[in-house]
Amino acid sequence: MSFDAALTAEAADLLYREAGHLDRREWEAWLALYAEDAVFWAPAIVGDEGFSEDPDNDVSLIYLDRAGLEARIFRIEGGDSFASTPLPHTAHLVSNVRAVGAGGPEIEVSATWLVNSFRRTDPPILRAGRYAYTLRRSASGLTIARKTVHVLDDRIVGPIDIFNI
Amino acid sequence: MTETPARSFVDDRPGVFRVRRGAFVEPALFERELERIFGRCWNYLCHESQLRERGRYVRGTIGRFPVFAIRGLDGEIRCFHDSCPHRGSMLTRGRSGVQPTITCRYHGWAFNADGKCIRVRNRDTGYDREALARLGTDLKPVARLAAYRGFVFACLDPEVEDLETFLGGARPFIDLMADQSEQGMEVLKGESTYVMRANWKLQTENSTDGYHVATVHRNFAHAVRQRETLTRETGDARARTEASRILDLESIRSGGYDAGNGHMINWSDRGSPESAPLNEAREALVARFGPGKARWMIDRGRTVTIFPNFFLNDVASTCIRLWRPVAVDLTEIDTWCLAPVGESAEARRARIRKYEDFFLPSSLAVPDDVRAMEVAHAGSLAAGGAGWNDLALGRATMIEGADDAARELGAAPLHSNPGRESETPFYAFWREWRRRMDGP
Ligand code: FES
Ligand SMILES: [Fe+2]
Repeated sequence: MSFDAALTAEAADLLYREAGHLDRREWEAWLALYAEDAVFWAPAIVGDEGFSEDPDNDVSLIYLDRAGLEARIFRIEGGDSFASTPLPHTAHLVSNVRAVGAGGPEIEVSATWLVNSFRRTDPPILRAGRYAYTLRRSASGLTIARKTVHVLDDRIVGPIDIFNI
Repeated sequence: MTETPARSFVDDRPGVFRVRRGAFVEPALFERELERIFGRCWNYLCHESQLRERGRYVRGTIGRFPVFAIRGLDGEIRCFHDSCPHRGSMLTRGRSGVQPTITCRYHGWAFNADGKCIRVRNRDTGYDREALARLGTDLKPVARLAAYRGFVFACLDPEVEDLETFLGGARPFIDLMADQSEQGMEVLKGESTYVMRANWKLQTENSTDGYHVATVHRNFAHAVRQRETLTRETGDARARTEASRILDLESIRSGGYDAGNGHMINWSDRGSPESAPLNEAREALVARFGPGKARWMIDRGRTVTIFPNFFLNDVASTCIRLWRPVAVDLTEIDTWCLAPVGESAEARRARIRKYEDFFLPSSLAVPDDVRAMEVAHAGSLAAGGAGWNDLALGRATMIEGADDAARELGAAPLHSNPGRESETPFYAFWREWRRRMDGP
């Protein structure tokens, strides 16, 4: 397994499209990037240095299957969540993308992210962290089989949801 | 300037109970709370399972004072001011960790985990004996430390009543969490700290407020219900988060208690007890504790709010929450998942998923609570805090003493209310708040 420039460009395009869908609130198009059996995981902080590692035995910030992601869209769009109305405007910056593939159907991608959120009633929120993706190649192109989001913020200001990490 | 007494914020007369909103927003009250409430009250620090090995510590705060709890070389848990005897530097290196030897990074004094000073640099060449005796080289312990059923508390006031006396009528409800496994309870890895731009007392009220559940958490209930229509049926009821206790309150029993000393209980029966992770222990719990207490443990969700800033929640999942006053309009909240040692892998997984659904700043519920409290704080500033919260909801159904459900547990609340949508349990908090603020 080694760094692959062409594969990295292809993976980065998917990551940028995902970020764009979230920032433009195109929830259905965003969800369509995810495989039916996809897992979305944001570990929680452990102590000062660590993150939770085992979702079955440790607490995570978010650990969702695709139905869980749909419920998040339901929450965001429903207009009934106090914290999500009005929804902040976000800008995702995704950088330091590197992809490695072993020639098989799965591609591992790492990246760094930064999200700025703005809502008139609140101070702006800056959050940052790392992404680790497992992408899967299928007839229709690349889909997201697994997304792991390490959120670096250990004193969390404002709500965290799928659209602002 | 003479201080405005707390009693002028709490209008407590026969048939009337009101709280002036200035109680949440006036800076002068906040400073007095640090001294008269947090400075004199038992403050929750941590759970014993977070201090398994010798030398392991966790940071805490009492009011705004930094402290830490540590398991000593002799196995005892102690609480010290997080402040070097030499010139005051904080000693802990993180929010938790293992430091069998605590070395101050400023000038290198060192202490063992029992608090004894083991090194003063230049002890022999730079100090005379009287000076060292005068300044006192050992760590300064917080006046009192005590644990109840694994929950560790500390107090700055040497004259404080025993912890058991203070917890008083809340103890049978704490036991409902502590007794869930014969092997004890444990705090799971993965803690969270989040920020609320509102007064800490709004979190104390919200923690026992059953009235907001059907409004603020309607989105939680609808979102999980929608998710469950999309999820393949696995046959494991524990994977489901029952929403009925939020959406169909008419069909279940619920209530609230004044447990004395400012402690408050809010409970409601589970719509589907088979979804409770603890359900697998039913037989063992009935055998150990009898059907009444086992019903309270498994079939009845509840919040136990301990004066002034700590709660145990066993509704959607099992949660310890502590809210720390930072400023009159700023509160930091810590949350942990507490679980029975030795539960099955399926129950553990279900417990964790339900905890993540509800109790985190990344969940489907807590962000809505935080928003509700922030907006309540902002609105309480209207007219300079002159408005009144008239806590009249449910007054007509309040009864003195215990109801049937409390008697089933052997609990003796001061007053009870059938129905969780009542504000009468708040009287417990505000009477204790006023008593401590104004003194006898
Ligand atoms: S302040 Fe700790 S050694 Fe000087
Ligand atoms: Fe709530």
